[in-house]
Amino acid sequence: MKALVALIGLVAAAHVGSPDTYFEGAAGPYPVRVIVRSPGVVPGLAQITVRLLSPQGARRVLVLPVYWDPRTAAPPPPDVAERVPGDSTLYSAALWLMTGGSYGVQVTVEGAAGSGTALVPVMAVATRRLALDTPLGAALLGLGLFLCVGAVTLIGVAVRESGLEPGATPDSRRTRRSRVAMGIATVVLALALLGGRAWWNGVDAAYRSGLYQPLRATATVRTAGTTSVLRLAIDDTSWTNPKRQWTPLVPDHGHLMHLFLVRDSTLDAFAHLHPLPRDSITFESDLPPLAPGPYRVYADIVHESGFAQTLVATVQIGVPAGRWRPSDPDDAWTTGNGQRATGNAVSLPDGSTMTWERGDAPVVVDREAPLRFAVTDPGGRPATLEPYMGMPGHLMLTRDDGAVFVHLHPAGTVSLASIETFALRQLGDTIRGQLGARLTAMEKETGVHRQEPLPAPDSLSFPYAFPKPGHYWMWLQVKRAGRILTGTFDVDVRQSATGR
Amino acid sequence: MATLAGAPSRGQPLAKSVAAALPWYVAAALVAATSAKVGVIWDISWHRSIGRDTFWTPAHMAIYLGGVLAGLACGWLVLRTTFAGTPEDRAATVRFWGFRGPLGAWVCIWGALAMICSAPFDNWWHNAYGLDVKVLSPPHVLLALGIWAIQLGALFLVLSLQNQRAPEQGSRLYGVLAAYTTAILLQNVSTIGIEQIGFANLAHNALFYQVAAGGVPLLLVAAGRGIRLRWPATTAAACYIAFSLVMIWILQLAPATPKLAPVFNPVTHLIPPPFPLLLIVPAVAIDLAMRRVGRNHDWLLSLLLGIAFLATFAAVQWFFAEFLLGPHARNYFFGVDQWDYSSRLGPWRYRFWRAETNPVTPAALAIAALIAVASARIALWWGNWMARLRR
Repeated sequence: MKALVALIGLVAAAHVGSPDTYFEGAAGPYPVRVIVRSPGVVPGLAQITVRLLSPQGARRVLVLPVYWDPRTAAPPPPDVAERVPGDSTLYSAALWLMTGGSYGVQVTVEGAAGSGTALVPVMAVATRRLALDTPLGAALLGLGLFLCVGAVTLIGVAVRESGLEPGATPDSRRTRRSRVAMGIATVVLALALLGGRAWWNGVDAAYRSGLYQPLRATATVRTAGTTSVLRLAIDDTSWTNPKRQWTPLVPDHGHLMHLFLVRDSTLDAFAHLHPLPRDSITFESDLPPLAPGPYRVYADIVHESGFAQTLVATVQIGVPAGRWRPSDPDDAWTTGNGQRATGNAVSLPDGSTMTWERGDAPVVVDREAPLRFAVTDPGGRPATLEPYMGMPGHLMLTRDDGAVFVHLHPAGTVSLASIETFALRQLGDTIRGQLGARLTAMEKETGVHRQEPLPAPDSLSFPYAFPKPGHYWMWLQVKRAGRILTGTFDVDVRQSATGR
Repeated sequence: MATLAGAPSRGQPLAKSVAAALPWYVAAALVAATSAKVGVIWDISWHRSIGRDTFWTPAHMAIYLGGVLAGLACGWLVLRTTFAGTPEDRAATVRFWGFRGPLGAWVCIWGALAMICSAPFDNWWHNAYGLDVKVLSPPHVLLALGIWAIQLGALFLVLSLQNQRAPEQGSRLYGVLAAYTTAILLQNVSTIGIEQIGFANLAHNALFYQVAAGGVPLLLVAAGRGIRLRWPATTAAACYIAFSLVMIWILQLAPATPKLAPVFNPVTHLIPPPFPLLLIVPAVAIDLAMRRVGRNHDWLLSLLLGIAFLATFAAVQWFFAEFLLGPHARNYFFGVDQWDYSSRLGPWRYRFWRAETNPVTPAALAIAALIAVASARIALWWGNWMARLRR
């Protein structure tokens, strides 16, 4: 069936063109990798797979999607995920996502080491409209016509013959009445079919209007003295309306917005900025001295409901006005995508080297991508990295045409702020802003900007599978000795043999 | 065949007599009609108690069984009659695109085909627009049309057997079976009208009486005209109530756990359908009125039947609903006060809904009476046709 699916509309909630959720983390003592395949419709069945990454045995794996709003969440008991035949560490289940919005999927592993739960945020949104493909449409039309002709004939037969004694033949009066009845039946049936068509069109129009679209945003650049300022306005009426249904924004890695600039067409300039809110609609950031030209703008935001989305805009950047004074110490940019010394190794500005340990196998759509990277210092030893906004690394990837844009962490595609909203949510959280305030206070207390070095990891890995074939660019950002370093890579992603 | 005058002949067991009187394909169509209706009521209960379903739930299986059984039995009958039937067999059938079979068999076959067509349509609908948000969707309407056709087909098969016999030969078995099939159709009215006439809480608003006036006389009056029994409408109403009671009593025994959020009402067993309408009293009135007025004054009769139906129905239902909302009905027998897993229980359970916004006024009752009269008039036309159905 999937091969027949025509996808119209390519947006996905958090991220662009990549609707599935990838998560790697711990369910108590058990490290797990979780993939949730989005059904693309709401209500719909999402497929969840849970891979146990440690050898210690699990007795069973439970999954439970919990809706964000405590007033209507009231979840049923969790489902037991079935073990996938032939794979002792892979479990699978269906998630019934009945309402559009943000869900926290509780993945619980029970085993010899006790029980532990991981929270995986999943956005349930309708992202596609299934076209009625020609063979099915023709078959349905044919069957429908057959039924209609059959019904009219039946009515004719009923009037003409059904009241006759066995063996008697209908007279001309009966035949005439039968024809009249068939005529009336044809008119009634035609009217019913017209009504049915209008009904179907109405359902379709309502469904289309409910398809997820990220909030509309507009990006502009203005010059303020010697600096260029990028301004992003969320000028969507569903957001600007004071009675908006959207919940307020919450900080993710200490920032209300993560904004990415990618130079259009050439993709040879990239910036990761953190605009500051001027009000609830407008966000501004000093613009780094990027090469002039048209840019794609992607802005990640997270709502108090845990709903994460990526706003999309474009902006024309001119000649830099003057010196760049970063609005936020976590802002970073890079230019030029030809820095690769050898195939998979990139020299970084501080003399260290970033290597993509991709292996020789081709990268294929919908298969786990080998996104493992190592950073070595100038002496060739594993480099000591510092957390960059609470993470050992941030990987952004986009397809040449911009149809896919994803912001990954070693924890996957999920937003940490989304996880936090579900972890912190209490049953009484019915006042907007309450949870956001609690989350901000927690981040201050625990210090999302911890500067103590991380143990040097052997490699940074990102759980992900590319959603579409094509040529992609990737920017991996890490922090070493107080400096944000960006390595640029590219990859060709092939269509899988099965055609998906 | 000679002994089907209702009472079995001396020394012959009833079951044997029925088996001898009832052709296999009619038995199959009756089982199919029953199975489909049981499946529909079970499925609604499933959705109200568990929430989640698959293609393979037992309720769905019962519905499919109805389609498959009716389709195969009647399909086989048509092929056999067309290619291997005796001239007498063929003479008692209607011709459809060169094939021969009783009208009821053709209606059953049409119903089975409609049910089959609805399956890929419904599957695509769910993939395109999500799982069932609303019960009423185009593919579900097609499925419902298919189920109704099978039930109507079963009724036509039984009626043609009844009408092929001379009145003096007696045909009580066929009359009872036709009344039973009418009861299944009355169940359909209850099912599609569940939000207007299903719950006792609705019995003090005007729409309740207007919807009932549209659906119920149509079937009871048609039964009164088409079925050869002394109390045809009353028998149909009794069968309708018995069908509901059996479903209420059995479904409550099955354990069930809600599996879809939000679960505000942690039910532990399948929620039974609402207690049936007390149609027995209006049905007695219909039978008496039809007997008294006879067959040659149908316009006058429909006026009388419409008013008699509404008067008796309203008088009974108004007060019986008060009993059903009271504490003495909250038990296994009546099965009331059992609500969906997603209901937030509250005092609304014991109140009459929309009694203030849509009150039962004289004007509202006059509209209901008009609807009942129209329904009775159409039912008389239909009943006259059914009384003549011979093939």
